[in-house]
Amino acid sequence: MFRNASCLSLAIILVQVSISGAQSSPDAPLRMSSESLARWIDERFAAAWQESKTLPATDIDDATFLRRAYLDLTGSIPSVSEARDFLAISSGHRRALLIDRLLNDRRRPEKHADRTAAYLATVWRRMMIPGNTPEARTAVLLEPWLAQQFVDNVPYDEVARKLVTARSEAPVMMNIPNRAVPMGSAGPAFFYQAIGGKPEAAASSVSRIFLGVRIGCAECHDHPFAAWKQKDFWGMAAFFSGIRNGVAGDSEASIRPENSTVSYSATYLGGTPAKFEKGKTPREALADWMVDDSNSLFAATAVNRVWKHLIGRGLTDSVDDLDKASAEERRILDELAVLFVKSGYDLRWLIAGICKSQLYQRECVLVEQAAGDPGPGQRPVKTLSPEQIFNSLEQALSLPIARADGGARFNGLRDQLIMRLSEAATNNPDEFRAGIPQALLLMNGKLTADATNLDQSRTLRGVVESPFLDTTLKLETLYLATFSRPPRPDEKEFLLEHIHKQTGEMQKQAFAEIFWGLLNSPEFVLQK
Amino acid sequence: MSPNPLTRREFARRSLATALGVSCYGSLPFLAAAAEQAKTKSCILLWMAGGPTQTDTFDLKVGHANGGPSKSIATAVEGIQISEHLPGVARQMKDLAIIRSLTTQEGDHERATRLMLTGHRPGQEGINYPSLGSLLSKELGDESSDLPSYVCVSPFSVGNADGPGFLGPNYAPLVVSGASNDPEARANLSVENLSPPPGVSRESMQRRSAISQFLQNDFATRANSSSTRAHKANFDRAMRMVATNAKGAFRLDEEPAAIRDKYGRSRFGQGCLLARRLVERGAAFVEVALEGWDTHSDNFNAVQRLCGTLDPGWSTLMDDLRERGLLQSTLIVWMGEFGRTPKINGTTGRDHFPLAWSAVLGGGGIKGGQAIGSTGPAGTEVADRPVKIADFYATLCAGIGVNPETENISPEGRPIPLVDRGGKVIQELATPPARKQS
Repeated sequence: MFRNASCLSLAIILVQVSISGAQSSPDAPLRMSSESLARWIDERFAAAWQESKTLPATDIDDATFLRRAYLDLTGSIPSVSEARDFLAISSGHRRALLIDRLLNDRRRPEKHADRTAAYLATVWRRMMIPGNTPEARTAVLLEPWLAQQFVDNVPYDEVARKLVTARSEAPVMMNIPNRAVPMGSAGPAFFYQAIGGKPEAAASSVSRIFLGVRIGCAECHDHPFAAWKQKDFWGMAAFFSGIRNGVAGDSEASIRPENSTVSYSATYLGGTPAKFEKGKTPREALADWMVDDSNSLFAATAVNRVWKHLIGRGLTDSVDDLDKASAEERRILDELAVLFVKSGYDLRWLIAGICKSQLYQRECVLVEQAAGDPGPGQRPVKTLSPEQIFNSLEQALSLPIARADGGARFNGLRDQLIMRLSEAATNNPDEFRAGIPQALLLMNGKLTADATNLDQSRTLRGVVESPFLDTTLKLETLYLATFSRPPRPDEKEFLLEHIHKQTGEMQKQAFAEIFWGLLNSPEFVLQK
Repeated sequence: MSPNPLTRREFARRSLATALGVSCYGSLPFLAAAAEQAKTKSCILLWMAGGPTQTDTFDLKVGHANGGPSKSIATAVEGIQISEHLPGVARQMKDLAIIRSLTTQEGDHERATRLMLTGHRPGQEGINYPSLGSLLSKELGDESSDLPSYVCVSPFSVGNADGPGFLGPNYAPLVVSGASNDPEARANLSVENLSPPPGVSRESMQRRSAISQFLQNDFATRANSSSTRAHKANFDRAMRMVATNAKGAFRLDEEPAAIRDKYGRSRFGQGCLLARRLVERGAAFVEVALEGWDTHSDNFNAVQRLCGTLDPGWSTLMDDLRERGLLQSTLIVWMGEFGRTPKINGTTGRDHFPLAWSAVLGGGGIKGGQAIGSTGPAGTEVADRPVKIADFYATLCAGIGVNPETENISPEGRPIPLVDRGGKVIQELATPPARKQS
């Protein structure tokens, strides 16, 4: 018995070592594991909170963790069976193992790592090209390439470099349709086309995305709130003078703004004029400068964005205004950025470390408990993105899924729903912005109507007509399908009463009504 | 009161803006006066999709080769003549002002639509400009109403041009017979997803509502955050709309048949009737679209047909508004995305022409009975008083009592005025708001 237990713990240790070992290449120096990163985060915040006399929130239960991890990483709630399986395991390491599986496991049929990579690609695409104009929607074409980078765990500095230096010979021709989302994929150079195909747009976007600095206002006048001047803006735009009419080319490193007599030569943000080695294009030189270890904005912005995606808000107040954050505000962020650089810009390691920390597994901080918005390291209630809502509906309703190889999944219903919900999308997960059309869509729209119609809905039929489930278990299954948790006693009491008020066929209606209620409840579209 | 209280971020942004002398809300005296009247003001946009010809509607060139067979008639205002196919509108001329010298530069349908509906050329600095409807309904509307402030009676949306842009979905239009594939919905001007799905009884809706309330309250006790409250406010508002069926505004069958006939039994005609009912119930901005104006061929027959639909709807709308004492508080805007070439092409048609075209403003605070600007005998260019999009928008804002300098903060923290600086109100048509105190 003793021997079996020690074999088992040995096996567990070996499994853990091999999983974290998979994250480092064979000849890299021994570096921090994601578990160590998680411990570092907890210790660092414990110290900070002791200083500020902040009381850390309590730990979340397993059901909350399950839903949180699935939504944050794969962009969808778990299936009923995944939920049941996870909640049934009693190992103390199940949470860390789940994170590792969602990030690394490529085995069929779930292919968790691929779904995670695809969802991360969506999150980054929305961050890189925000908004809901027809041009912004074309950015969906970047997702397959982005997903591939994440699946291969390409170091982040290389991904950034590839994007900044991407070249194209001709613009991608497409009809920008009014409503539909384009299908297919395009290489990284499409980024320049999606943002507007001009050097000014490139300068603005690249500075914001990779350096967390907004210089766009300085295009026409000296920025009122920050130190950026027109010469700073145009100095950056000069690197991109080869971006014209949707073609991402390279040309000489100087630019003359329209209606101006002044020419600006390429200058790195901060004032150093660029000197080009033989054979290096301006954008290659910019990429070198940008990803250099000494450029504190680059690594810090990356960490800030990953943190914001997982926790709900960045480590500084605004991730797009890093230049406005005080040194005090940036303390923890900068320390974490140093670790990120040392890891070789390993995104997967960073994500795993954050998700395995105690900090990630704490309850949300609600506005009443704190003075003002949640502080750094504290988690707000997050709003699901349009893709998360659709993916979760798809999961909850067992919808038939259409897949097109290599490109975005094409499904008319999906596009319609995402279009409508995208009108409410925000880059700040702690905001809820949906309006009447979104509410009506979820209340009375075709998807919900079919889902709550006994003849149309697979999930509902599966639950309601199952001979193996009694009323209580049927209710539990509906809860697991939508909230990934079993109902609480007070919920059971109220809803079972509702069910037992009806008989026969009407009782099946009662389940349909409950299912509708669950799909339209705040718990489905908000994430604790 | 907005359902989303200011976050710390937004508060800081706005404070900074104010501290640096960038006013968010214009001058105080104007604001006080405007607030008094702003609650009851509305705007109806008659959107002529496709680009309506000016040479055959409001700026005829009878006697010139470019005029073609179009004939003009006198209106209620001496000296102003318009197309013979718009007799009803002609009677309304005392309350309408024609701008004949509008000049813009977009000749592509989508770009021009976005220009005319947002006041800005698309793609400028990546800003997602809000539509006129969103901007005005934000200033004029009542967010807590059971009725949405901004309604769009339109068969399609070009490039999401009538959308809320960066203002967010709280200011998105409620689209009537927009994306629906249901022919029933189209014919009866019903709201997408306003009615519960077929087969769901009233009792069932009530039971669902009860379950919903329970789950919401339950969630609120455990996770009471600003997002939770915003979700509840929005959900409750939607439910109220469903329950009151949007205050019955869409029950066109409540109107006597004679009235419905007067408006014309077309989607446009009934849309105008719906617009009147919505304005009566407090909606701030209603867009009613009439498509088909892209007359590259067979222009004259097409225009006659279109005017046959346009005229009764528009003139009955104005009669009804006047009768109910609503005309002074309802701005009417008639326009498309561009005009059409004065020179007739080889297929008896006219092509896209943004260089010199017409739009019409009326009702509200607009001084009617006038025609501003001219395009010369051939109509091929502006001869007098060019009016740019910013001037047009400034005049429109002044006509509805909204300060054109009112600013909204974009997600990037940038203050964006309703109208580009430099837009000048056409003095003959409306009184510009009081100067900002600096």
